[in-house]
Amino acid sequence: MSALVLEASGVCKTFGGLKAVQSFGISLAGGDLKGLIGPNGAGKTTVFNLLTGVYTPDEGKIALAGRSIAGKRPSRIAAGGMARTFQNIRLFGELSVLDNVKLACHVRVKHSMWASVLRTPGSRAEERAIEGKARGLLDLFDLADRADEQGKNLPYGDQRRLEIARALATDPKVLLLDEPAAGMNPQEKKELRDLIRRVRDEFKTAILLIEHDMGLVMEICERITVLDYGKTIAEGTPGEIQNNPRVIEAYLGVEAADAPSGASNA
Amino acid sequence: MRHGVDQHAMQPGASSLTTLVRAWAPVLACLLLAVVLQMVVGPLLVSAGWDFAAKLLLDIGINVILAVSLTMVNGFTGQFSIGHAAFMAVGAYVAAGIVYYGSFRLFGSAEMAGGLLSSAPEGRQGAWLTRGDALFGLSILAGGVASAGCGYLVGLPSLRLRGDYLAIVTLGFGEIVRVLIQSQTTETLYDPEEIAKTPLWQLPKYLGGALGFSGLPFYTSLFWVWVFALLTVLVAYRIKSSTYGRAFLSIREDEIASEAMGVDTTRYKVRAFVISAFFAGCAGALFAHTVGVQLNAGELGFVKSFDIIIMVVLGGLGSISGAFLAAIILTILPELLRSVSEYRMVAYATALILMMLLRPQGLLGVREIWDKRTWRWLTGSRTRKRGGS
Repeated sequence: MSALVLEASGVCKTFGGLKAVQSFGISLAGGDLKGLIGPNGAGKTTVFNLLTGVYTPDEGKIALAGRSIAGKRPSRIAAGGMARTFQNIRLFGELSVLDNVKLACHVRVKHSMWASVLRTPGSRAEERAIEGKARGLLDLFDLADRADEQGKNLPYGDQRRLEIARALATDPKVLLLDEPAAGMNPQEKKELRDLIRRVRDEFKTAILLIEHDMGLVMEICERITVLDYGKTIAEGTPGEIQNNPRVIEAYLGVEAADAPSGASNA
Repeated sequence: MRHGVDQHAMQPGASSLTTLVRAWAPVLACLLLAVVLQMVVGPLLVSAGWDFAAKLLLDIGINVILAVSLTMVNGFTGQFSIGHAAFMAVGAYVAAGIVYYGSFRLFGSAEMAGGLLSSAPEGRQGAWLTRGDALFGLSILAGGVASAGCGYLVGLPSLRLRGDYLAIVTLGFGEIVRVLIQSQTTETLYDPEEIAKTPLWQLPKYLGGALGFSGLPFYTSLFWVWVFALLTVLVAYRIKSSTYGRAFLSIREDEIASEAMGVDTTRYKVRAFVISAFFAGCAGALFAHTVGVQLNAGELGFVKSFDIIIMVVLGGLGSISGAFLAAIILTILPELLRSVSEYRMVAYATALILMMLLRPQGLLGVREIWDKRTWRWLTGSRTRKRGGS
């Protein structure tokens, strides 16, 4: 098993009196694919926001590739190798599909703005490399023929995939996917499942997935963490999670604690 | 400038000479075009009796610099600066001080000592560039640098916050600059001996205050204005079409996503702001030395800032060519409407409201005139529709 790329422990965040996340911990190694689930309002997206620096944790440690990132700017954390997608899609709508991906390559750019203005050989070479990388990613995500369209004009499923392509363009060590299957039809979900696996295998990225589609989560995640009211109530393999009474209770209430298959179809 | 557009064509084998030519040819082209305007177009206009057109070309050039530079802030990064004229004022006064007192100190008088490239179109004989031009050129850059410095000081605290704060701070900055200049002594020194005696650090006090800074030599020519105007456009274009331009635009589109993709949004906003302030300062320096202008901070207040914003909005937020076109249109329009000049602001406001209602994205939106999309939009569907009806 390769070294841990993401290690978080004891992460807490309160908003006023609300304990949004309490002593959250997770560890991911390159190529890991883990899931983060929980009922609505359980604090899943807050965890993402804490990991990516949108919020500063009140307590706890977060290390990305061995370096502490708690309290750093999101852009620094992204430069360190953390990329994410958003639950409510946040594309650069007026920019072309290609430019959306090219922008994400910017974080690895080495030439200065002056080199860009003077169009030095180095800047030109790097712009060509960005172009090639972005087009390659669009190919992988089946978006190549939409490269010149504006991001906002893409169909919903394509927008979700473009978000993942954009996140990958930052060369992440850790990829956080926030409900990537939301709003997709069964066929698109199937393709997405294959795509996520492919990304993990080809890019050796550690992936942490928030998803409400239990079928998808149970199928592709190796381990799953379950949150409820900001607390981690269970952690384990899909099989363990499906049979965990606390999870079933959190999702379905006490009465319906009879069907593990019920959880997988929720 | 076409060269940059073709950069998508992959040419890994392009020799270093080609790269060098591609990088610098547009710069040379800007210079050459400015020389042609000064040496050919200007005199032709004057000999045809169209002096006003030559003067108008000067004003257009200065407005192009202002509009295109403001586009980098309001258009690219989506921030809202409403104090652009203040940066112009900083550049104007810094340059004017250097040129006026520098001329006395170095040449003994504040008379225009420029060559052919600086003179009015009716022209004089002599060298193309002289030491007077060197002083003027350096003072423009000094004005730009001083203005960029102010941009940094104003931008750093306010650009960390949400967009509205920048608007408030820039508005305040504009007023501060104006009041500071106007509250100085109204005296301007004009006795060479007295100027020679006064220590250098005291000279910046005597900038004319509320009465305006008069007696400045009129160096500003078609050459100077258009060198800077075209270079502003070139720099703006090259930034916009580069990876840094995408970073700027992404801030406008979605600041949170931009930050999550690794763009240090505060730093980039400050950068755009500083570059923009630099060019505004240059424009101010050029404005200060224009024939018929008596530099007065009162004229470089909020109303002037507003004029520039209108150009940017009319052109389409983020469009360089849109700002360029709008600067031309909005410089010529008031001249055509001379007879109703009192109602200029009313007309502007009406035009702006109409624009917001009919074409909220401005003339060109974010498009550029050289984009393929624009041509498709201008020629394709529209002509077909017309042909059908």
